Amino acid sequence: MKNNIFENSKDVFLDSVDSKDYVQLDRVSSIYQSLKSSVKKPLKMVLLYGKPGTGKSMFLNKLYYDLSASQKVIIYQTPILDESEFFKSLAQDIFDIEHKGELNFTQFMNIVKNNSVEDLEVPLVLLDEAQLYSDVMMEKIRLLSDTRSVKFVITLHKTNKEDLIAKEHFKTRIWETIELGNALGNELKIYIQKKLIKAGCYDTANMFSQSSVNLIYKLTKGNYRETNKLLYTLFDIYSWYIQNSPNSIKTDEVSKKIIEMSAIHTGLIDA
Amino acid sequence: MLNVYDLEKKYRLYKLKIFMPYIVAFVSLCVILIVILFVKSSDMFKSNKAQHNQKTIQTQIEQAKTTPKEEVIKKENVEKNETLILTPSLNFMSNIKDSPSEVRFQRVINKEQRKKSTEQEEIEQEEAKQELEPVIIEEIELDKSHPLKIQRQNTQDDLSLVLERFSKNNNPALSLFIAKKYYEMQNYHQSYNYALITNRINDNIEASWIVFAKSLVKLGRRDEAIKTLKSYFEYSKSTQAKTLLEEIERGKFR
Repeated sequence: MKNNIFENSKDVFLDSVDSKDYVQLDRVSSIYQSLKSSVKKPLKMVLLYGKPGTGKSMFLNKLYYDLSASQKVIIYQTPILDESEFFKSLAQDIFDIEHKGELNFTQFMNIVKNNSVEDLEVPLVLLDEAQLYSDVMMEKIRLLSDTRSVKFVITLHKTNKEDLIAKEHFKTRIWETIELGNALGNELKIYIQKKLIKAGCYDTANMFSQSSVNLIYKLTKGNYRETNKLLYTLFDIYSWYIQNSPNSIKTDEVSKKIIEMSAIHTGLIDA
Repeated sequence: MLNVYDLEKKYRLYKLKIFMPYIVAFVSLCVILIVILFVKSSDMFKSNKAQHNQKTIQTQIEQAKTTPKEEVIKKENVEKNETLILTPSLNFMSNIKDSPSEVRFQRVINKEQRKKSTEQEEIEQEEAKQELEPVIIEEIELDKSHPLKIQRQNTQDDLSLVLERFSKNNNPALSLFIAKKYYEMQNYHQSYNYALITNRINDNIEASWIVFAKSLVKLGRRDEAIKTLKSYFEYSKSTQAKTLLEEIERGKFR
């Protein structure tokens, strides 16, 4: 049965953006509340940015999960790079208009103008990985948001290039910007234990001492995605030892050796 | 599929990689320490060796110091037999007689020549040797092919120097020496005077009484001489005095 605990614990750290896996941390919760309130404001656009693995997609999914009950929210987790397809998808999802054939920006603007209802709440479009859209496409999205018929929340990776994009296209139009970062040292332990406890893995949650979490933090720098990957491998190794050589490991505390083995396997340590 | 064996191998390599700088540093430190210790120990060994060598050298030096001494002593012993005893030459007295002005002359003497000196001179020298502090010059063994040349200056200054010394210390040996020299120079008045002075300072000097008696005979005071010698003979039982007394009485010495 013990190996089941490790198997279950392993699954907790599968890399997913399911809003059900969202872990409530104090600092992260306040950021989320800030995003939520920004959406309620009469803003044309909200920019959510941060380094990869800082939880942008999770935030977007959480927002979608929380707001979809009260207002029209559309989420595109994968960018639709074709312009016609993008506008056709928007026409379908926002106005339930199925357009056959090509749909260009002008035609879509006419659809928006003819179908907008002033009294109703403006539909919210969540665009993940917006850095993949072309500059022309981003300019058309900006023009669309200027009509105040559609509100956009977009996520960008915080790199020099994306900073440049933000500077060029959104400098004067974005009214709210929210930055996400990695977890702090003390937050990481809460994050790990909360995730495990949420899944009912109490034994494995108690295995994490501050020193082992410190080592994990040292390796992942508090990045959620890297931490998830590391812990997934860690429990995978534990599971293997339990099945093949149970006497060679201790289960009262996470072994430093297995943390480092996990880091080697995930590439965090260049062995 | 997770290959834990491979992962463990990688982990061991990683640990080795991590600890390698420390291992290298530790090994380097050990090597450095060993080298330092080795260098120090070799230095100590060298210094010990140097000390040992120094001791050996010192011993050798000491041996060398003692050896020459011994050699010198031996040499001295060997040469003692051949010691050249230099005494002031009295020839200048005769020169004073012949030429009152100060005359300087040189005489080349070597050991062989000295052996050929007259018997009279030897007797006089022996007598002087008893009374005077002999001037001994250590002589290096002479090569016969290159005989040693000793240059001596016999001047009247020699006698005046002895007179000067006598006036300072009243040594009876010096006064006896002067008396004898005056006697040789046939200046019997002076020889009588200095023999008398010598006898007053020390009346146990046989040679002084002999010179005194001889001077009296030469001055024509034969009876005084006989009387003096008899008195002296009774006192000292000197054979030399007796011999001279007999010679005077028989008329052999006049």
